Amino acid sequence: RSRRMEGIFSVIRIPNLKLKTPRASLPTAMTVFGILFLTYFLVLSGVVYDIISSPGSVGYVQDEATGAWKPEVFLQWRVNGQYIYEGLAAGAMFSLGGAGFMMLDLANKKDTLTRNRHLLILAAGVSIFVAYNLSIVFLKKKIHGYMR
Amino acid sequence: MKAITANNSFLRGISENKQEFLLKFLILGLIYALAFFTRLYSVLRYESVIHEFDPYFNFRSTKYLVNEGFYNFLNWFDDKSWYPLGRIVGGTIYPGLMMTAAAVFWVLNHFHITVNIRNVCVLLAPWFASNTAMITYFMAKETKNSSTGLVAAALIAIVPGYISRSVAGSFDNEGIAIFTLLLTYGFWVKSVNTGSILWSALTTLAYFYMVSAWGGYIFIINLIPLYTLVMLVTGRFSERLYIAYCTFYTIGTLLSMQITFVGFQAVQSSEHMAAFGVFGLLQIHSFINWARTQLSPRAFARFFRISITAFAALVGSALVLGLATGYISPWTGRFYALLNFTYAKDNIPIIASVSEHQPTTWASFFFDLHILVFFMPAGLYYSFTKLNDANIFVVCYGITSVYFAGVMVRLMLVLAPVACILSAIAISSTLETWMKAIKPNLRKTKNTVEYTGQKEIGYVVVTGMTVMLMLYVFHCSWVTSEAYSSPSIVLAANQPDGSRIIFDDFREAYRWLAYNTAEDARVMSWWDYGYQISAMANRTILVDNNTWNNTHIAQVGKAMASNEENALKIMRQLDVDYVLVIFGGLTGYASDDINKFLWMVRIAGSADPNVVESDYFSPEGAFRVDSEGSSTMLNSLMYKMCYWRFGSVYTDYGKPPGFDRVRSVEIGNKDFSLNVVEEVYTTQHWLVRIYKVKDQDNRA
Repeated sequence: RSRRMEGIFSVIRIPNLKLKTPRASLPTAMTVFGILFLTYFLVLSGVVYDIISSPGSVGYVQDEATGAWKPEVFLQWRVNGQYIYEGLAAGAMFSLGGAGFMMLDLANKKDTLTRNRHLLILAAGVSIFVAYNLSIVFLKKKIHGYMR
Repeated sequence: MKAITANNSFLRGISENKQEFLLKFLILGLIYALAFFTRLYSVLRYESVIHEFDPYFNFRSTKYLVNEGFYNFLNWFDDKSWYPLGRIVGGTIYPGLMMTAAAVFWVLNHFHITVNIRNVCVLLAPWFASNTAMITYFMAKETKNSSTGLVAAALIAIVPGYISRSVAGSFDNEGIAIFTLLLTYGFWVKSVNTGSILWSALTTLAYFYMVSAWGGYIFIINLIPLYTLVMLVTGRFSERLYIAYCTFYTIGTLLSMQITFVGFQAVQSSEHMAAFGVFGLLQIHSFINWARTQLSPRAFARFFRISITAFAALVGSALVLGLATGYISPWTGRFYALLNFTYAKDNIPIIASVSEHQPTTWASFFFDLHILVFFMPAGLYYSFTKLNDANIFVVCYGITSVYFAGVMVRLMLVLAPVACILSAIAISSTLETWMKAIKPNLRKTKNTVEYTGQKEIGYVVVTGMTVMLMLYVFHCSWVTSEAYSSPSIVLAANQPDGSRIIFDDFREAYRWLAYNTAEDARVMSWWDYGYQISAMANRTILVDNNTWNNTHIAQVGKAMASNEENALKIMRQLDVDYVLVIFGGLTGYASDDINKFLWMVRIAGSADPNVVESDYFSPEGAFRVDSEGSSTMLNSLMYKMCYWRFGSVYTDYGKPPGFDRVRSVEIGNKDFSLNVVEEVYTTQHWLVRIYKVKDQDNRA
């Protein structure tokens, strides 16, 4: 602390700040799981394909009878192409199915009301059933002659 | 455990332990057989033939190894490919696959089981798939318990994502690479669990096998350091991790440098720097921990600050110096494109053009994994509720492979095993909980929960799981049979009346080349067919699937895309005798050279700016071969070679002559003359067309 340095402070007024180094703590396991689950949803929706190939959010096909252009959500008969919404819809189905199995585990935790357990199991059953069947419906639009 | 002679179990007179062992043995045996037999569709439908393109090179190399011996194979310089440059095969391949096939061949023939080398190559991948199922059992058993192992082995035996690259006939690196990958990871998990140097040494041996087998070993040498870093950050550093990693890194790097193709890259390239960095970090971490026990808290705090700044400065300056002088080479294009996935599309057209390198759509995920996509997040969830060393590794492996599989569809192969393991964790945990509800334990601990309707719900859940797993089996069998068992050297199509026609044009053309051309004739074709021509026609070729020389490929592309006079100059320069093109317009085969033509133009344009892609588009900007097509396109050598004599052929009912069935248009330029090449052979269905470059006129 030289004398020359102290002279500056007669001209400059020091603001009254209380700066603290930010305290970084490790996120909890379930926070990390949440982030990974979100990543899983995005990647399985084909977001990387969307970024690189930039398809539209929906496609347009010409109606045979009228000649008008109607929107088409699923790119039919091609597995290696997709539109953005169809990817996100499918990704949502996959995540819903995963969430169903997680709910099935949550239903068996200690200290839960029986009514909540039953509701969780019902929700899990509906989620898994809907997720699987909708995914098959979506896949049938992409693959000609699936399971025939 | 005391032997219980159980009277109410289904096998009386044997103790419960032995019953369990017998059951496990039986299940694993069935899985072993299942994994092998489900991959044999194409052998039963067609014949025992090598599929695709790359396997033909591997097959040719294996034959060379078996005929010439090990040292000649390592020193092999192939002068019949990449004419006139040649290719140093010995130093630029991963020899593991060829050596494995040759070893199996030698062992079998030693015991006078005289198997043809071709059959060994065709059936090697299914056999290794069975072994992969066994090693998945081992790895899942290490992560959780043996029931998880059994489920994981059953899942991976039939998962379509793995079957696609390991059917009988697919004699490619991935067939054994996935086995070696899981071997390394399985032994790694075991060595972190036990902290034994023996298991770490076995990990390094497995890693050496992996390095010899596939370029994807980069994944191992980056995932294990990433896992170690995660363990350090989450405070799970232990002596076992230290022993495992140090043994693995030191001996593993030394062993990986024994493969000529890797060589000094293991200590110089950026892809390996993460492992080195974590190695240093581990040493510093252990040193700081030891110093903490020796010094007083205040002295330690000062020592910690000084040493951290010193180490950081040293490492930082070494890194900067290494990168600046170029000693540490930057990430190669192939692997950098995985991290920055927009890079290949703009900068490296050869990498961007390969269909396997395209990013993955949701349908590919669901098609290749089916119900595993539902169980994978549940498996992640179960791992996160009870984190331990092995679980964290499987989570790291899972998430990184999900990302990479999203970037490149070929890497679905790397995702499939960990999808099976994570799904097995979920399936096994769910079934365990609900089977306990059906058949409760007699001992009630404080953890058991009981509520009304538990037993009935248990029945529903277990039935539901069984149904889902059965649907998985149906899906996998259908996919294997319909989608992944085509040899692609032989094509088949269903006619309207239900009968099948077989297109064997490729082998017909290569046979013709082998019998009707001079021994030293040089054949020019697009690089896709190079390996097949080399292996089956046994002729010198200009470019092949190795694609190591972009400029040479660009020259071939320019020759194909130029008009006849300019193409002749390039062909004379390259000493070309024959030109081979694939044409699908008569049969409707969509992967022909006209559909690949724009890639030829782009690659040629990347080396020679005179080749402009927009010249080949119509004035509206569309790629067309009918009368609206651009004149550059209609006069190019590729167009003329594909459509020579096609203008007078009737291909479909009610369509004019010269109707291209792939592009669905009538071709624009029908009456033209071929001045520099002459047609010498066209196969039965016009799929392959071979032209001879005309000799120079005699001087009058």
